[in-house]
Amino acid sequence: MKRPVYITGSGLLCARGSSPGAVADALWAGEHSCTGRRLGTREFPYFSLALPETDWLARAERALVSVAAQLAPFAAETPLFIASSSFQVGHFEQQGAPFDLPVASASFSRRIGDWLQSSGPRYSFSTACISGLSALEAARSLIAGGQIDEAIVIGCELANNSTLAGFAAMELLSQSTCQPFDAGRDGLVLGEAVAAARLSAQPGTWRISGLRTGIDAYSATGPDPAGGPITRLMADCLKEAGVGPAEIELIKLQAAGSPGTDLAEGNALRQVFGIYPPPLLSLKPYLGHTLGASGIVELVTLLACLVADRIPHTAGFKKVDPEIALLPMVDRSNAHIQRALLNLIGFGGGLATMIVERDR
Amino acid sequence: MIFVNAVLSQQYRPQTLSAAVRSALGKPLRRAAAMTQLALVGAVACIPVERRHLPSALLWQSTSGPRQETLTLLDEVCNGHSEPLPYDFLATQPTVAAARIQPVLPGLQSAAYFPLDTEGETHWSLLIALASNWLEEGRYAQVLCAHLDTWAESATGHWLALAGAPLGSSQATLQLRTMNIPGALPDTPGFPEHLAIWLKQASTPALVLESPRAPRLAVEFARI
Repeated sequence: MKRPVYITGSGLLCARGSSPGAVADALWAGEHSCTGRRLGTREFPYFSLALPETDWLARAERALVSVAAQLAPFAAETPLFIASSSFQVGHFEQQGAPFDLPVASASFSRRIGDWLQSSGPRYSFSTACISGLSALEAARSLIAGGQIDEAIVIGCELANNSTLAGFAAMELLSQSTCQPFDAGRDGLVLGEAVAAARLSAQPGTWRISGLRTGIDAYSATGPDPAGGPITRLMADCLKEAGVGPAEIELIKLQAAGSPGTDLAEGNALRQVFGIYPPPLLSLKPYLGHTLGASGIVELVTLLACLVADRIPHTAGFKKVDPEIALLPMVDRSNAHIQRALLNLIGFGGGLATMIVERDR
Repeated sequence: MIFVNAVLSQQYRPQTLSAAVRSALGKPLRRAAAMTQLALVGAVACIPVERRHLPSALLWQSTSGPRQETLTLLDEVCNGHSEPLPYDFLATQPTVAAARIQPVLPGLQSAAYFPLDTEGETHWSLLIALASNWLEEGRYAQVLCAHLDTWAESATGHWLALAGAPLGSSQATLQLRTMNIPGALPDTPGFPEHLAIWLKQASTPALVLESPRAPRLAVEFARI
């Protein structure tokens, strides 16, 4: 990396609140309730945004504009890096048949650019659950390489039935609650959220010291249970950051409560960090799994918690799974964290690991 | 220095894609979506066998995206004819494609997918800038950049294979330019076709690619 890249601003709208600070407060208070979303005759728990609009696009505009407004003003030509798994599929569902798909599959990003009054380049990313960190990786690379000086990286995942139905058809959804690493975990709970991170060559509180994406080709529906590819990616990321496992003070897990993926992540963590890893935290019991937005949503949420020195416990966890043999945080903490690692493990085989360091 | 080791454009009728895969691999690729098949035949054509184990990344963009799969999914979800199939699920298509390619290109370590938001506009300059940065860092030995589209009547793939070291077949070098350069080619889907023609015709000493919205990501190509 030719020059360091910093996170200098953020915005967030999720089921827990409408700013990073408000979300951090809610997590510290232990708020992790969710609503439900009906799919045919079934209803699944779901983390919804509290927005009044019923029209999908009007709702999306409200969400995006509100998150952008939380950032300090940025130049219209600032590049936008937009990550999503589903883009505007909820709008097509609402329109109904015949489905009038635009020629360009990510035309929703153009609309986002208009809503944000952007005249700069827009780059879209869609690699399932790691989309957010893929976008961050690209923006960081261009800033580090001197090709751009600043970027707005947006994660956007808004309610739709296609996503819910896809996961339901694969029997990957919990009917009750998200229980990361728990012996009784039974699947994901999905959610919607929009978040933005401002990246800059100008110094800020947090520096991205490592970021790597990878592939786990073990199966289209789940990672290698032994955790080999996840282990290698975390090791690569630590190497890039120039730190050893002992220097990581907190790990934000992927841990979505999925039986197979949680096990793979647990096995990888033990290979990298041994049987006494740093404190482990999953944010998904509070926010839901926000898929293509999750990389940015969970990064922004985590940094808000760390800035306040108020780290929540992992809600939903009750009993250690003997196969995973790792215990996520069960008590809140006021620890002052200098360096944290974030993991994402995506459906279809995408992997991402990131390390952030407090720079001042 | 970054070397252009392959410039390739492919076009298929959708019904001939599986035969092209069988021809490239010597065996069929079962239950693979059209985008996966198109990605695989292009990647294999760009990277010779002896380089397939080297650390590699795949950066690919698409205008169409998994269009047919999206329409099928919407029909299933909205009209209730059947449960959606897992592999029709939108954003899994690109990641599944990468996972299916990795056994054939064992060095493939990372893949990113860039769906495009405007017909006729592409992100070649972004893909090349990322590839250049990562090759210069030594993160990968080679990076594949592609534009892949699968429409009802055609499947088209345009490819550039970039590396930090030349092959005997290397045709050009490239470097990033962070300024406006007059006479630049616009960033469009078929840019590799223009590059291939320029390489054959030798009419100007350099060829420049520039995206109007991102002039600081211009790329200048020079013949070897």
